[in-house]
Amino acid sequence: MTPFELLQPRTLREAIALLGEASARPFSGGTAVMLMMKAGVLRPSRLVSLRNLSLEKIEVGSDGALRVGAMATLRALEKSAAVRAGWPAITRTLRTLSNVRVRNVATIGGHLAHGDPHTDLPPLLCVLGATVTVAGKDGERRVPVEKLYAGYLETTLRPGDLITQVQIPPMGTRRAVYLKCTTRSADDWPAVGVAVVFEPEKEEFSLVVSAATDKPTRVASVEAVDALPIESDLHGSAAYKKQLVRVYLKRAMDEARKPAH
Amino acid sequence: MKRASQPTETPQVGRSIPRLESWLKVTGRAEYVHNLRLPGMLYGKIFRSSVSHGRIKSIDTAAARALAGVHSVVTAEEVRAIVPDPYYGPAFHDQPVLAVDKVRYVGEPVAVVLASDPHVAEEAVHLISAEYEELPAVYDEVEAMTSKAIVHDVLKPAGTFPDLKHLQGKKNTNLALDFRLRRGSPEAALRSAHRVFEHRFRTQQVMHTPLEPLVSVAESTEDSLTIHTASQSPSFVRIEIARLLGWAENRVRVRVPFLGGGFGAKLYIKLEALVSVLSLLSKRPVKISLTMEEQFFTITKHASTFRIKSGVDATGRIVARECEVWWNGGAYADIGPRVTQKSGFTAPGPYDIEHVAIDSYALYTNLPPAGALRGFGIPQLVWAYESHTDLIARELGMDPVKFRRQNLLREGRPQATGTVLRDAETGKVLDRLATLLEWDKPFEKGTGPLRRGRGIAVGFKACVSNTSSLASVSINADGSCTVYCSTVDMGQGSDTAMAQIAAEVLRVPAESVRVVHSDTDVTPFDMATLGSRSLFLMGNAVRLAAEDAVQKINQLRKELGLAPDVPVPDIFKKKFGMRAGNVMGTASFNPPYTPPDANGLTENATPFWMVGGTGVEIEVDTETGRVRITRLINVADVGTPINPKIVETQLSGASIMQLGFTLFEKMQFDAAGQLRNASLAEYKIPGFLDLPDEIVNEAVSAEQKTGPFGAKGVGESATFGLSPAVANAIQDAVGVRLTELPMNPEAVFVKMQDQ
Repeated sequence: MTPFELLQPRTLREAIALLGEASARPFSGGTAVMLMMKAGVLRPSRLVSLRNLSLEKIEVGSDGALRVGAMATLRALEKSAAVRAGWPAITRTLRTLSNVRVRNVATIGGHLAHGDPHTDLPPLLCVLGATVTVAGKDGERRVPVEKLYAGYLETTLRPGDLITQVQIPPMGTRRAVYLKCTTRSADDWPAVGVAVVFEPEKEEFSLVVSAATDKPTRVASVEAVDALPIESDLHGSAAYKKQLVRVYLKRAMDEARKPAH
Repeated sequence: MKRASQPTETPQVGRSIPRLESWLKVTGRAEYVHNLRLPGMLYGKIFRSSVSHGRIKSIDTAAARALAGVHSVVTAEEVRAIVPDPYYGPAFHDQPVLAVDKVRYVGEPVAVVLASDPHVAEEAVHLISAEYEELPAVYDEVEAMTSKAIVHDVLKPAGTFPDLKHLQGKKNTNLALDFRLRRGSPEAALRSAHRVFEHRFRTQQVMHTPLEPLVSVAESTEDSLTIHTASQSPSFVRIEIARLLGWAENRVRVRVPFLGGGFGAKLYIKLEALVSVLSLLSKRPVKISLTMEEQFFTITKHASTFRIKSGVDATGRIVARECEVWWNGGAYADIGPRVTQKSGFTAPGPYDIEHVAIDSYALYTNLPPAGALRGFGIPQLVWAYESHTDLIARELGMDPVKFRRQNLLREGRPQATGTVLRDAETGKVLDRLATLLEWDKPFEKGTGPLRRGRGIAVGFKACVSNTSSLASVSINADGSCTVYCSTVDMGQGSDTAMAQIAAEVLRVPAESVRVVHSDTDVTPFDMATLGSRSLFLMGNAVRLAAEDAVQKINQLRKELGLAPDVPVPDIFKKKFGMRAGNVMGTASFNPPYTPPDANGLTENATPFWMVGGTGVEIEVDTETGRVRITRLINVADVGTPINPKIVETQLSGASIMQLGFTLFEKMQFDAAGQLRNASLAEYKIPGFLDLPDEIVNEAVSAEQKTGPFGAKGVGESATFGLSPAVANAIQDAVGVRLTELPMNPEAVFVKMQDQ
């Protein structure tokens, strides 16, 4: 790892300004960034910590939507009574997300901005219709989580952009299920992640596939999985991963049909 | 912690006392080399080969040397100034301290950067470049037998082992040992057998993954060297470093504190020769701490191919077995040739078979070196022979337990080598497995997407021989006791066991005994902590040394005319006129051994046998191929347990480690010999969520009559049977047979599709 400077701004404006330098990187929980730096994949000269920006709040707005500050830890989200009551699928997903040591420090903003398709929340937040607030040099904008990803470890965020908040619409009568499948150890990165929302009134499903694909990807039906761009990797061959996607989509859909969700 | 050392009448062996070091470990005060910092110490970072086989044309270190903060950059050229012939190894002197002229696997150390700041050293490593003339490479162990790609131009046996001498100076071969055993007339017996079965099995290359990566520190003066190292074999390190330097052994001191796991990764020379040379070159203390990732390029477990063929008579008796095993040793032999022979001779399994042929081949390939890993080759063999045995039983329409029972090698019968089975409860282990699995009761296999199955497997192991252990036991002036031995506690609980053994002899509480860690200036010679040998060999040495100390105390008592009930402190007071002095009991233990003859036969192959069996109940998800072990039963003959709690955790720990090797662990190489998953993000080991719902561990009632208080080794026995038990259970559940490890979900699913 090369030496770097660590800056800890107190305002968002200051943070965005400090990120103006070419090889500066934002730093929240650090669980991914530190590994990438140790591996030499990322060699920033400056890390800008977002810890002092007061972005940890988890609250339910007057519109019934869940608003999560980007610096809320995954553990705080997992433990939130409001989340458990209104968005139980998120709570369930968090319980098997990586491990408790990672959840204690990783933040939702970092989790979303990382762009790794093997992470658990992006597909679920996509299917739930969540949005993020992005602050950048030119001010703030809202982006659907679904539009956040461009490819493998690639987001649509521009240099200097920061996710400041995540908004998740109320569940209403919708029922959501996220299932993942690992092909090595149980705590491995998933080979396949599927997120499903069922709307009982309309008898309709929304389906999003991740991990096997380069980014969270919406599919119309289980049959449509054949056409998904899925490639062989260390988790398994393309054909096998498609099989897993089909099986897990069906299982998630069966699960979502059950009224308990 | 207060530890009373008043005499006690309570038996000290058989007590499940907590490990003596547990308090130090949980409070973060146990000594590890990783925490060692010496004044003026330099850190070394290794530049590694990017090709699997090539001639080194040039190494450009200029930019690295120019980086601010870099002390020096060292290549083989500088190494040779200190060690003209810089090749080491326990079986062959084949491994260079840094690559000389050639590289033989991707990841081989080529150069080292030294700097006071490890980050600077690491940065400078990125500035080194090397040019290679690539040579043809070979990766598969069976291909290596006939390959035109030759890993070593000339074979250089170390001279330690007589069965390697004939390989001296051999050229144009990748064969580092061809062990051959012939008993009876296997060919004729196979020809005339009622039925003949033949199968081929493979295992994959995996890594030990000790959570404390390899680490060594060397400090030197003009004529002495101290090496602080995470090593399982301090005595060997001293001998080998002294040999490399041409020094007397007493100029080299090797210290080993606690290890954060070893499993066979930390044997022989790993970083010790390198840090020694670097310290002598720089005249500064030098430390090299490998990263977790670098461990993949240091030492691994042999991949293997095993062709096994059996002839069975009309009554279901196995009359002949032919075993051909190819061991993928990687680029340097390490202890591979010993694995090939010492485990190779048990390749037919714990069965009473009249006619046996074994050919076991150690092969060089252009992959990271392979050595011993928790089982010393046995799990690879049991995988094949217990899968094969199960297949035969099924083909014959016989119950797999009944078929094994009928053919089992039992007490008093000769094993393939001719060495008679003694104190080895093969029958009890098999019977207890069957009982605990309720084998005779009907088993519900399920009808939905989840299918259930169960399987069983039994393996055995000989202890490496010829080896010796020495120990000293001091009785101090206050009556307290100190044990000096070079057995390394790497988490297996040896300190506690040795303390219990000494305490039993001395009649003091085990908690009051102090066990001094390996320091070759202080603790006597021991071959190494490996292959479950320490409890038996060092345990015997400690017992004998303690008895020697007691005898000396009694002698002193007599000389001084003191009554037998006079307490120890009063003896010393009388002798020296004050509280002073100590007596030192010493002992060595070197059980008899007879080398095999030309046919691989010997009546004295091993000082004791280990027996381990595994039973599993599993669930197979037929839509994904995922296998989940719902119930795991480990049964072993460990003799009489010294510490039953440690026996239990050794059995469960060994089986969980083997579970990873069985279901998903695999080093995945591309066509150019590059490792694709050299990190714990892509190479997964079992976590808590992978554990079976239920694990039962049982040591059958047994006694190793030649062991210390009836005990023998336990660290590996639960690795033997797990893989074949799972394969047998998969066939039971879904009717397909896997013959390659790991049995990951895709492999199982694909097999089911092919059906």
